[in-house]
Amino acid sequence: MAIDAPGEMPGDATGGMPTRMVPAAAISAIGAGAVAVLALWWADTPAVVGLDEWLTGAGRITGLLAGYAITVLLALMARIPVLEHGVGSDRLARWHAMGGRYVVCLAVSHTLLIIWGYAVTDGTGIVSETVTLNLTYPDVLKATVAVLLLVGIGIVSARAIRPRLRYETWFHLHFYTYLAAWLAFGHVLADGNEFIGNRTAQAAWYALYLGVALVLVWNRFLTPIRQALLHRFTVTRVIEEAPGVISIHIAGRRLDRLKIEPGQFFRWRFLTRGLWWSANPYSLSAAPRRNGLRITVKDLGDHSRGLAGIRPGTRVLAEGPYGSFTARRRTRRKVLLIAGGVGITPLRALFESIPAAPGDLTLLYRARTSEDLVFRTELEQISARRGTGLLYCVGPRSVVGDPFTPHTLTALVPHLPDHDVYVCGPTGMTGRVIPALRAAGVPRRRIHHESFEF
Amino acid sequence: MRSAIFAVIVTATGLVLLLSFKPHNVTAAPERPGVMSDPPAGDANGQADTPATSGKKSTGKAVPKVTANPGSWPGDGAGLGETAGEKVISGVVADTRFGPVQVQLVLSDGKITGVQVLQAPQESRRDFSINSEALPILDQEALAAQSARIDTVSGATYTSDGYVRSLQSALDRAGL
Repeated sequence: MAIDAPGEMPGDATGGMPTRMVPAAAISAIGAGAVAVLALWWADTPAVVGLDEWLTGAGRITGLLAGYAITVLLALMARIPVLEHGVGSDRLARWHAMGGRYVVCLAVSHTLLIIWGYAVTDGTGIVSETVTLNLTYPDVLKATVAVLLLVGIGIVSARAIRPRLRYETWFHLHFYTYLAAWLAFGHVLADGNEFIGNRTAQAAWYALYLGVALVLVWNRFLTPIRQALLHRFTVTRVIEEAPGVISIHIAGRRLDRLKIEPGQFFRWRFLTRGLWWSANPYSLSAAPRRNGLRITVKDLGDHSRGLAGIRPGTRVLAEGPYGSFTARRRTRRKVLLIAGGVGITPLRALFESIPAAPGDLTLLYRARTSEDLVFRTELEQISARRGTGLLYCVGPRSVVGDPFTPHTLTALVPHLPDHDVYVCGPTGMTGRVIPALRAAGVPRRRIHHESFEF
Repeated sequence: MRSAIFAVIVTATGLVLLLSFKPHNVTAAPERPGVMSDPPAGDANGQADTPATSGKKSTGKAVPKVTANPGSWPGDGAGLGETAGEKVISGVVADTRFGPVQVQLVLSDGKITGVQVLQAPQESRRDFSINSEALPILDQEALAAQSARIDTVSGATYTSDGYVRSLQSALDRAGL
């Protein structure tokens, strides 16, 4: 991973490119790849004659795009440092989710269009053509399994079902996309009209898939192991901050080489019998110290519940640091931090460390009950020491009303449109805060938000 | 939700536009036999037209092809039987799922100097486009291997299979 390469400055994580250029560059690169794939079809197709060729042609295009887009999806999740820092892990996850639905639609369209198109050409029925395709064309049966896997993963990830699943179940089902990509690979080269006799296209297709596979193995497998050997993370203390909220202190060697910025997170894998198989993202809840890090976790699922039983001395694998929710995004002198619930964690680190003169930094902290206010003592100490504003809003909305209206926000924070605003909280809250901030006159580019739901 | 609808509309429109920019009548497309005798220069498939008989490299366009062959799939057996000592032997008609495949060999001093496809599936444009790419490759492979032990062309499994069977039968007839 490039972030701890010797001699690299924090600003170099994005290869010298200004951070805000990275999303546009990434989207351009993805688009250019799609155009190249379409060009492959274009160059190979002399004419489109008759209904069957319209259908088959559409089937080929959707198929090529699906085959390409699945590599994009995997690359988005390959923890590529430039993307993690420049685009942000939460945004990558959103792109991945949107793209995932798109790929499932493309793969299904490809399947149906090809069956229909071939059936029209052969003058047979849909069912018999489906059988023929699966049983007589090389590798098509495997591709059918792949498309069914993709549809299955798509259904499981759908908004209606996803909340009913354990995070871990859903997460591990996703590994079947690797299987799907591998199963579908064969039929592209064996049956894809565009690849017959076209060595360049075949080589490019191989390069695309092998390249993504290498990046995945490197970033998701080898880098964590290398970091574990180098830093030897170990749990030192577990402290209950509030009901259902615990802080875990983790010691490690040579932490300075990680070039951690407050606001970032790691993906943590605690090596205990029940937890080792899952790496979960948790933000650092304090600015990094020389020999120790702290994360704070709320009981949101089975994994975070299992963390309460962690003992000091437990070894930890950590991937990171990730995330662009840092002081680097800031463009103004004045800064407002808006935290909801356990969303306080990265903001607590920023509140402590983001450079600001007294009066220029304000933290607005929303919690359901005063018991849910974690770090209360710490926050008040920081506030007193740094001369920063600290506002709590505690109580159910039915009692205290909605604090996130343009009117209330403007009244609470003088010169609001002149601030950079960092928002972290549950999706429901950020969904109300951001429009309110926009209405209160904060430009979109100065609203930085991170969702902690991956 | 709005972005999903947008994506679907953009994709569908893009598809229809792409497809509609291509010619839609058969005459605008290359004629079936014509595609064999004049492949586009620089195309990866053009190489398959290199006459192995003469042993020299040539590109698809530079060499005017002699197409005085009876089949719809003239191969590299141009000028067959014109020289003394050359023998022309047809293979059996090998049936495949998509139609019959038959090849003809030109033998000179016990060597294969030309292969010609007398028939191959060309009922649909799909068969045609696949075979017009696959058959030259198979011809090349046969000339290079001097036997029927040649690789299947990916994407044209059936044609390859029929080709090999017909080729083997021709070799058997020639006593090779």
